[in-house]
Amino acid sequence: MNPTILAFETSCDETAVAVVRGREILSSVLSSQVDLHARFGGVVPEVAARAHTESIRSLTHKALVEARVHPDDLDAVAATEGPGLVGALLVGHEFGKATAWARRLPFVGVDHMEGHLFSPILEHPDYAPPAVVVLVSGGHSQLVHVEEWGRYRVLGATIDDAAGEAFDKLARAMGLGYPGGPAIDEASEGGDPSTIRFPRALPDRRHDFSFSGLKTSVTTFIDKAKASGDLPPLADVAASVQEAIVDVIVDKTINAARDTGARIVGGGGGVLANRRLRARLAEACDAEGLRLVLPSPALCTDNAAMIGAAAVHWLEKGAITAWESTVDAGRRLG
Amino acid sequence: MKVLAIDSATPAASVALSDERRLVASTLRVDRRGHSAFMVSAIDFCFDQAGWVPEDLDAIVVDVGPGLYTGLRVGVATAQALAAAIGIPLVPAVSLDAIAYRAATGHRHIWSVVDVRRGEVAVAAYRPVPGGVVKDGPAQVVTPDVFRAMLESDPDDVLAVGDVQALPDGLLRGLHRVKVGRPRYPSADVLLEVAAGALDKGEYPHPDEIRPMYLREPDVTINWSTIRPESPWGAS
Repeated sequence: MNPTILAFETSCDETAVAVVRGREILSSVLSSQVDLHARFGGVVPEVAARAHTESIRSLTHKALVEARVHPDDLDAVAATEGPGLVGALLVGHEFGKATAWARRLPFVGVDHMEGHLFSPILEHPDYAPPAVVVLVSGGHSQLVHVEEWGRYRVLGATIDDAAGEAFDKLARAMGLGYPGGPAIDEASEGGDPSTIRFPRALPDRRHDFSFSGLKTSVTTFIDKAKASGDLPPLADVAASVQEAIVDVIVDKTINAARDTGARIVGGGGGVLANRRLRARLAEACDAEGLRLVLPSPALCTDNAAMIGAAAVHWLEKGAITAWESTVDAGRRLG
Repeated sequence: MKVLAIDSATPAASVALSDERRLVASTLRVDRRGHSAFMVSAIDFCFDQAGWVPEDLDAIVVDVGPGLYTGLRVGVATAQALAAAIGIPLVPAVSLDAIAYRAATGHRHIWSVVDVRRGEVAVAAYRPVPGGVVKDGPAQVVTPDVFRAMLESDPDDVLAVGDVQALPDGLLRGLHRVKVGRPRYPSADVLLEVAAGALDKGEYPHPDEIRPMYLREPDVTINWSTIRPESPWGAS
């Protein structure tokens, strides 16, 4: 069965709508609010919720037209239920529920992190459990053991900042723009990642992350180096900072694969758009003989196609969400 | 003409159906945090009671505020989705208008009040006319003290309606020309009456123009301490 699903994702700062048929993307459109939030140095919840409300209607139309799907051909509607910003989540969830009701279709509420966890399947049909999946984004950093679809064990997570949050803070410390991930990725181009060895936190905890201490080290280093007049070039500092984050993510992901015996490593979340992280994960998985399945960068960041992909699974299981359901901003996987 | 009205601008959320201006079904619940759980299931319930299917509808009326931001977005998102999925027009209605419309007075100047949180209220003035009310000034967001001053300087006898209970205790004390009346909240059945003129004339704005009436810029807190004013490497 390859159901045709209209999916919505509005958990943070992207209004995203997609049409999938089974695991095939028929359309995936989004209206990014990055420029709206950039001047505030981070996502402003009320600004995000307003922007979702303004763009979701026309984006839905665009997604259906691009997919060449008539609403009569839809089999279900899906929307992100959480985690995320409550005001932002409500817009997509409510729009999705009402669309499903009006077309008399089943509605499926989807966990945002489960969406990321399913995202590789849109481009890698061989992606299947058991697998270890590294989810790293602006709001989350966790390692998940996918025992089977729908059965997840969170092996570890960040004990403070999410990886994407760390990139944002470190970019600010280096006077770079927002969002920090792409800014550091770009600034580190041609830089030498071994210039400065910033600390790698929590070496003794095999699956957990900690990124908050890095900001202090980097700020202290820059201030001291600047005072003594031997501040290395920006590219070298940015590359070294990036390496500190990448190292930790790669090491803990490999730990998780070794500890669970999973032979497939998946990934999702905006931080996985980072070129250095992708390259280092590929090297490490190669060395361990693991199959690495990463979504292309456009499907690493928030999108609705991944919500559709996860909904296919729940629809097949007959897990339909009730009309009186609502969002769950603090929802957790597993 | 079969019309669905939905209202979630205040702690009261409601749904109503009318056929040729006759109320067919309605339901209301007061629960500030429960609007998203209520809305689609309440619509489903009303359609069930009326024996209607979605395609029976000719138009939808939605309360665009002013009011509680999250509630407004639940209402507008639901209405936008339904109108688009069924392919019918959407008509915006104003919460303050609906409250004033239902106020019962023959001669008093009506001040309609909606709580918009953060220590402020949205207010607007109306004059009673046979069969309804006419707006007598723009909707504005003010502090309770400013609202009291507005009432004090009103030369007419006043009927204050809407969420007067959201104002600080005793705020209206000593205002002898001010009487407090009902209703406290707007409701979907009244929206149907308020929007009747626009529905009859077929005055439908483009759906993208139908947005919550916030009347305030979003609150934004910038943590300047986390932002370096300039690059340690200087301007590049």
